Amino acid sequence: MGLKQNMRDVFTPQFKGFFWSNLVGISIIGITKYLMTENGSGVIVFSEFVVIPILMGMISGWFWQDLGLVTRRLALYSCYNSFLAIGLSFIFLGEGIICLVIVSPLIFCFMLLGTIFGKGIYKKNNDKLNVSIVFILAVVFVTDTLSKHEYENEVSDTIVVNAPPGRVWQNVVAFKRINVPAQFWLFRLGLPSPVESTVTGYYRGAGRKCIFSNNYVFDETISTYDISKNLTFDIVNQPKDPEIMNHIAILRGQFLLKDNGNGTTTLTGNSWYRLYVFPIWYYDIWAKSITRNVHLRVMQHIKELSEK
Amino acid sequence: MFQFVVKYLGFLKSAPLFPQVFESFLILWTLISRPVILDYVDDIRSKVLTWPNTSVSLHKYGGIQFNHGNKEIGHIHGNGILDIILSRKLKAQLIKEGLAKPHHVFPKSGWISFHLYNEKDKIMALELLHRSYSKILLSN
Repeated sequence: MGLKQNMRDVFTPQFKGFFWSNLVGISIIGITKYLMTENGSGVIVFSEFVVIPILMGMISGWFWQDLGLVTRRLALYSCYNSFLAIGLSFIFLGEGIICLVIVSPLIFCFMLLGTIFGKGIYKKNNDKLNVSIVFILAVVFVTDTLSKHEYENEVSDTIVVNAPPGRVWQNVVAFKRINVPAQFWLFRLGLPSPVESTVTGYYRGAGRKCIFSNNYVFDETISTYDISKNLTFDIVNQPKDPEIMNHIAILRGQFLLKDNGNGTTTLTGNSWYRLYVFPIWYYDIWAKSITRNVHLRVMQHIKELSEK
Repeated sequence: MFQFVVKYLGFLKSAPLFPQVFESFLILWTLISRPVILDYVDDIRSKVLTWPNTSVSLHKYGGIQFNHGNKEIGHIHGNGILDIILSRKLKAQLIKEGLAKPHHVFPKSGWISFHLYNEKDKIMALELLHRSYSKILLSN
């Protein structure tokens, strides 16, 4: 009797809403992640960031429907649930903190959407409708998970360096350590930023290393070595960082130098990457922004070294 | 932000889920910036539901929609913007008195937008909704 009472005290509708929604959410994502990694794709599909939070919101809404929660309280509970889901993703799914910061707006938004949506449809007391919606979500999830996902993009940035191409070239192939603190907010939050580049030789086929602030190294091979004009390198190995692994692959980097004929050089930095996280409309904004800030940090450093 | 999305991303309002997703953002933003607005919305909802033959549903472009039978009385967004359809005469009068603004998407229609900021606005919002409700009753 005492134990039953204690159980009832612990397993309140509030607790069940948090518990079951997260258990279902983490389980589905964990199983999907395992299966997707097993079959080699390793892609994280849009459903995992959209359908699962909506489903989690609907599950929690199911347990909270009789609590008479006002909108403010419901939204607050939904936020707590999102924080919990993000925390559990960090612990059980091994996601990096920056990744979770990036994904959090989707989680907060779609979790609340599911909770409010659930509140609306449960009131109708129509089991057919409820089952149909869960069925539609399941169909979307399975179809999306089994669909082929491929996305590659290029980011290009340009600056003008007040030095001739010959002098800029010396700092493009390899450059000394960047000691200036990073300004980009994600770098300041802990996302590794580029600090140094080294090479094994000055020729096509030479090895190049791009070293990041946490000592992670991107191993590269120089594929085009056109002095004072074009340095292109393929990334042959990237660090196994939880912020990067299974999310993005940097494929190639390039520096193009154009002599402006007035003692200045137009320096263009290009990067090609492949995304393993979807939806593209959301993640590509972040990927572009991060890549652009990597470019600008390196190119600004090259500019300062060349103009000395 | 609301005006920006309405102006530049308004064409997405028919895209599946987009209005609802945006509405969730509005509620989250209101929860952070002016949480009391969410309480006003709940109070308005409770009061409207005491009027005979009224119901609430999710508005197709996001927000809570108040209905009398199959007719819409008005709808309110998560950031406290109440949209109501009134007669053009009443709309002109309310705008002239500074009590309402033309609708944030359809300024030339009979719709008006009313922004909730405080307790007094809540009472005024209920008054406006009641006028729309009465108009529907009369038309029936």
